[in-house]
Amino acid sequence: MISTVYRLSLRLLVTRGRLVALVAVGAVAVLLGVVVRAGGAEVDKSKAVYDVIDGYCLGVLAPVVALVFASAALGDPAEDGTLVYLWLKPVARWRVVVGALVASLSVALPLVVVPSVVAAAVSGVGHGVVGAAVAASALSVVAYTTIFLGLGLKVKRALVWGLAYVLIWEGAVARTGRGAARLAVHVYARSVLVDLSHRPKPKLVIAPFTSVFVPLVVAAVAVVVATRLLARAEVA
Amino acid sequence: MTIVVDKVTKTFRDVVALSEVSFTVAPGVTALLGPNGAGKSTMLRILAGLTPPSHGTVEILGRDPRGDPGLFRSIGLVPQQEALFEPLTGLEFVRVAADLHRLADPGGAARRAIELVELDPDDRRPLRAYSKGMRQRVKVAHAVVHEPEVLMLDEPLEGLDPRQRIRMIDLFRDLGTAGRTVVVSSHVLDEVEKFGSRVLVIAQGRLAAEGDFHAIRELMDDRPHRLRLGTDRPRELAAGLLAGGVVVGAWISGAEAVTVDTVDVGAFRRALAGVARDRSARLREVVPLDDDLDSVFRYLVARR
Repeated sequence: MISTVYRLSLRLLVTRGRLVALVAVGAVAVLLGVVVRAGGAEVDKSKAVYDVIDGYCLGVLAPVVALVFASAALGDPAEDGTLVYLWLKPVARWRVVVGALVASLSVALPLVVVPSVVAAAVSGVGHGVVGAAVAASALSVVAYTTIFLGLGLKVKRALVWGLAYVLIWEGAVARTGRGAARLAVHVYARSVLVDLSHRPKPKLVIAPFTSVFVPLVVAAVAVVVATRLLARAEVA
Repeated sequence: MTIVVDKVTKTFRDVVALSEVSFTVAPGVTALLGPNGAGKSTMLRILAGLTPPSHGTVEILGRDPRGDPGLFRSIGLVPQQEALFEPLTGLEFVRVAADLHRLADPGGAARRAIELVELDPDDRRPLRAYSKGMRQRVKVAHAVVHEPEVLMLDEPLEGLDPRQRIRMIDLFRDLGTAGRTVVVSSHVLDEVEKFGSRVLVIAQGRLAAEGDFHAIRELMDDRPHRLRLGTDRPRELAAGLLAGGVVVGAWISGAEAVTVDTVDVGAFRRALAGVARDRSARLREVVPLDDDLDSVFRYLVARR
């Protein structure tokens, strides 16, 4: 059952337009890594590549890619009415959610992790930051994808709402204090990056165990919420 | 009874889509007849569990279609909306249904369902390239691939050419004869006649009438009819018809026209030519003014 939903979701999610646009967004990260490498001796390359991974890969690339695929995985069928062809089947709702989630992750993870890793690698700073980029970007994609999957079922124009969340909450409000920061995926992913790349700790950072545990719990809760939303959906 | 609907009301904010609708459906073909916007699609969506009623209850095979995914093994639905999984081929689209129903031979079942609706299972074109009629047929294939006990179809004949209409009507009748419960919605009276079925008339969100097609047809024919008669002697013709008792009202509606109300169209038709001859009136036209389906439905709702 999950495999059928997975294959179907993958077919529907992966369009040429989406792939080209998001590969281009990922290529910017690689380009920034090259720029860091080309920087002169006066440039702190270690800090510069950290800023690229944190500011661009975790702050822009991961949420945008996750949002595009996750919000569409169940949101598009809900909006165009094709959800009825999944909904009206003797399949537990969690299986539909998991199938769609795994399909979203299958596309979003490589589109975020690969550019992040390449950006870190081409900067020439060392392996430490590469490993940190893998862990932080993967954690970030998993958390964002599960959250935005349910968003696609909850609201129309989920892409707009998701972007508003990323730009306004994560990009602005979460920077203002520790309380708000604890409600931002970016802060947890950054904490993993800082911890694994042994960078000096910034002001808003989460303890190592918590920075991994909380996003995973949030992801699990988001799957449960998405399942309930799907079960209670009014299908067109 | 396969389907039991008890006092179902459905509201969307301030709009009452269905109001206290109750009926039962047994195996065979049942038509949901009503004008566009009458509430037929909403009723089918409630029957399929796609949306809950605001009040009242629905049971399909003794179970609540809302919140019981296991029941969907026994239900097939052809929804009205056109959107499909566009990148898939017809066979892939039906195969998804076969897989999700865990059929023993999903590939074979999908091919058989596609062939049943006279599509080519080897057609490699994506669904986005299908015509409206082909889309309608592949939706039917998707709905019947698991041979459901209850099949619900929302305006399934729309977009089909005459030959395909006949084919589909035969298919629905065969399924009904085989003991399946088939509920077909339509706003076209002549279509419903061909189903040879029991009819539930829904209008303005209410169950306006129910019975076999002939009973509904008689009900519709027995209602008061309004006609305009074109004639060179409207006053004389009106007087003659009133005197003959074949109309219950008549008024001059122009220099060369008279409008009449009759409760017995058959008697009126038989008497009209004689009255016109007796009154030396030349009859130019007889135009029914309320023979459209909407006025029929309005009448049925009003009399209930």
